[in-house]
Amino acid sequence: MTALSVDRAAPTAAQAAWRAFNLQLALYKHVWHGTVFTSVLLPILYMVSIGIGVGAYIDPASLGGLDYAAFIAPGLICSVAVMMLGNDMVFPVFGGYADWGGHYLAQRATPLRPVDMLNGHLAYAAVFRPYTNCTLVAVVLAFFGVYNSWWAVFAVVAAALVSASMAPWLHFWSTCLRNDANLNMIFRFAVMPISLFSGVFFPASEMPGFLQPLVWLSPLWHGTELARAATADIAPALPPVLHIAYLAALAVAGWLAARHAIQRRLNF
Amino acid sequence: MPHDDEILVRAVDLRKSYGEYEAVRGVDFEIRRGEAFGFLGANGAGKSTTMRMIGCVSQPTGGELEVFGRDPHAQGAEIRARLGVVPQDNTLDGMLTVFENLVVYAGYFGIKKKDAKVRAAELLEFVQLSSRSKDQVSELSGGMQRRLAIARSLINDPELVILDEPTTGLDPQARHLVWERLFQLKQRGVSILLTTHYMDEAEQLCDRLVVMDEGRIIASGSPRELIDTHVTKEVVELRFGAAHTTELAELALTLNGIGAQIEALPDKILVYTDSADDTNAALEARAISPTSVLARRASLEDVFLRLTGRALVEDEA
Repeated sequence: MTALSVDRAAPTAAQAAWRAFNLQLALYKHVWHGTVFTSVLLPILYMVSIGIGVGAYIDPASLGGLDYAAFIAPGLICSVAVMMLGNDMVFPVFGGYADWGGHYLAQRATPLRPVDMLNGHLAYAAVFRPYTNCTLVAVVLAFFGVYNSWWAVFAVVAAALVSASMAPWLHFWSTCLRNDANLNMIFRFAVMPISLFSGVFFPASEMPGFLQPLVWLSPLWHGTELARAATADIAPALPPVLHIAYLAALAVAGWLAARHAIQRRLNF
Repeated sequence: MPHDDEILVRAVDLRKSYGEYEAVRGVDFEIRRGEAFGFLGANGAGKSTTMRMIGCVSQPTGGELEVFGRDPHAQGAEIRARLGVVPQDNTLDGMLTVFENLVVYAGYFGIKKKDAKVRAAELLEFVQLSSRSKDQVSELSGGMQRRLAIARSLINDPELVILDEPTTGLDPQARHLVWERLFQLKQRGVSILLTTHYMDEAEQLCDRLVVMDEGRIIASGSPRELIDTHVTKEVVELRFGAAHTTELAELALTLNGIGAQIEALPDKILVYTDSADDTNAALEARAISPTSVLARRASLEDVFLRLTGRALVEDEA
């Protein structure tokens, strides 16, 4: 057999995360065509049916002079990020520990440490996916003439922030669950409510007062406010730095929780 | 203590507990470079737990363990970079092709893609899967998946290959093919560590092995040494029609004095003896007429039975 040059030293955290990320990339190469639907067709369907269809009945004056399609566009970009997390951070994480996937179990026998596996998976779901697929969504939406400013490019950054704030928590949750029948709870009690109560399709201020705290907790609301400020050039509900700080705090706390969970799960 | 490069693994009073349950209760052993070393035992004997500690994925709760002279707790990643592991569940990625499984896995060890592709092609040749390289893993039979898992474990040119029950669940033909590949690895000087509850597997592959029972090592040596030390040269198996446990135990009493030891199992009686002919003659002299008599050479199965009073297969269900 050909002589092989193998680095026997322990990899740095960045090297190891990159190695784990490459698995996700290899898997993505098999399914990328499916993401065309999420990134291209879905935003078109939303814009035609809701942005233009429902928008025909909505007076722009009720939205501060903003056209309804332009109002929902930034939220759509962020919503796609949340939708992708549902695909990337629930079953693929759970399966990583199961006999029908087991990629974390396989990686455990290599120089990768549990935290490297977490970082690699997060790099894919919270960085690669929003910056590729949400960019595609943003480009598609541009054809509907929904941007009022060149700052609109930062809507993708806002979507990536939403991903970063939610991805580790979904990883944590999927790691803690031992029964795959419970995975749907993540969609019912996290992904779905977050998608509905975040001011994507109507101003969050229109929601009943008792639901307002839910809105403030939702990372998608913070991301949508930031994205709308970028695309429509209007002031967000809070100073941008507060929206960003909240999302960053969620991301850090989620990462610490997810790191703890994966380390426990993979120490036999 | 200075590290001897020829000793790959050294365990002293190694222990592992899960709460109140002690899975490994203080075991001592050394694995030397170039040898095929086996852990033999029934399910639950503690062999897989010991393997996981050696593989640096489970932290010992007592005793000392060194792998390549390093501490598995502090230097786990460095140690794992030098190991090849074939787990009980293959943990292959069903969504990737056979070839991609190897190339992606090579990436975990920092092997460059160009080198990984060459290595993967060579290993697929070695395990006779070249023609399936573009197939998805989910399309392979159990035996093929096992061979692929073995190929994957060799991707980083490991100094020690750990195989956890390498042929469990395979049909006889697939099992023989795996044995043949492992034997070739051994011939090439690759150090092998395996667990098994198949006696023939241990006898064929292991230079040295330890027998584990209830978290302890109860015997160690080469297969031949273990047989010579713990059992007689031959074993005569006696069956008495439909007689079962209690009846066989009573029948066993009538055999007192024949052979070196009598063991009554649920379906047969074993007579350990140095001469099967003498045993048959003694049976005739006492007018004992079993429905079938089988004389054979003693095996590791007999060693296990003799040491624990239980057949290995009992715990497999």
